[in-house]
Amino acid sequence: MASSDKSAGPMPPGDGSVPPGKAMTVGQSIVDKGAQMMQSLKPIQRMKLHACTFASYSHDMNRQIEAHHFITRLNQDFLQSAVYDSDDSSGRLIGVEYIISDRLFEALPSEEQKLWHSHAHEIQSGLWVNPRMPEMMQKSELGELAKTYGKFWCTWQVDRGDRLPLGAPALMVSPQAEKMGKAKPELVHKRDQKYKISLLMI
Amino acid sequence: MEETIGGVFASGREKIPPGKPMSMEQKMLDKGAQMMQSLKPVKQMNQHVCTFALYSQDMARQIETHHYVTRLNQDFLQCAVYDSDDSTAHLIGVEYIVSDSIFEKLPPEEQRLWHSHAYEIKSGLWVNPRVPEMALKPELENLAKSYGKFWCTWQTDRGDRLPLGPPSLMMSPQAVNLGMVDPVLVLQRDEKYNVSTEALKTSRMELAEPEWINPQADYWRQHYKCFAVDVVPTEMKKITPFP
Repeated sequence: MASSDKSAGPMPPGDGSVPPGKAMTVGQSIVDKGAQMMQSLKPIQRMKLHACTFASYSHDMNRQIEAHHFITRLNQDFLQSAVYDSDDSSGRLIGVEYIISDRLFEALPSEEQKLWHSHAHEIQSGLWVNPRMPEMMQKSELGELAKTYGKFWCTWQVDRGDRLPLGAPALMVSPQAEKMGKAKPELVHKRDQKYKISLLMI
Repeated sequence: MEETIGGVFASGREKIPPGKPMSMEQKMLDKGAQMMQSLKPVKQMNQHVCTFALYSQDMARQIETHHYVTRLNQDFLQCAVYDSDDSTAHLIGVEYIVSDSIFEKLPPEEQRLWHSHAYEIKSGLWVNPRVPEMALKPELENLAKSYGKFWCTWQTDRGDRLPLGPPSLMMSPQAVNLGMVDPVLVLQRDEKYNVSTEALKTSRMELAEPEWINPQADYWRQHYKCFAVDVVPTEMKKITPFP
């Protein structure tokens, strides 16, 4: 039935906006602002780190996306991130990634480990960046992150033109050094230009 | 050994996830990052909703959920879903919410993955903690006509200390046996936030009922079947070689 791979059917028609829909009403903005002032949003306040990197669909590694992680560190061994397709205020929430230390990964049953991907290449090749953070600050953290493993479910395939989240979640994988896993140069270049980065090697 | 993850059903709610507390260095990095980086998508999450959801493959398993909501336009909301509202909350999934007009345009096979919100809202189960009901009324009427799609990626309710297995499709509370939320869960939530679901239900009686609820949504109600996600090995697509 619904698979991560096949599109569920024709897109809702319209002006092509993703997602479709009219702009917020004033009333809705007021509710938003009001809520923000009155409510305690503690889990969100812990999302303190932005990372920009790349990922591919495990069932079709030709499809690669730029992914924006907004990360919460829960402890020394575990991070959770809400993943978006961009870092602007209209960014779409496209999935969730969990990141664990090698120590925790080794304790997982092997069936579970198959759903996870390593981060060493992604980090060492400079694909993973923390925009606007000075090199020095990132360095020690990146050393730790290079040893971690991630599990990333993509729940909205915006890259294939889905105007709404359709179908089943897709398991994502990380860039790797061998042919099939290499990040597409044009994607990387585009990202680097946006953030004025030159590909760092650590 | 204290840290074994072991099988799927780890015991105890302590130390979820396993691991040592953050180091000073890590805390400083976080603070620094927060000051220097622009976290725009996060700043758009400005509403907290507390409600309940059920696992479609086992509707006896019900959870209190905490949605942190971003409204992208009049017809669409996206939510990062947590298992609590404190600073140690676990990110357990994602829910998307669309208006009825958008929902009607989806193909039927897609509609079957979605659930309706009318009952959840009218019954008072859906709560925006600390926001006065008066302020919410117009919004609630819209939401009562909306549909949601909720993937749970971490089953902390069954004790998983780490996110294990494939995502689960979640369903909303409904006004029939299988879809009713355990009163104990509701009471616990009400006490925590000093609200009364019963009182909200009464006050929401005046909210308009949606004229109809698409029968493709809440699929289990008509078909006594549900959808579970299975991870299957699949042939990888051939890649176009780089020039």
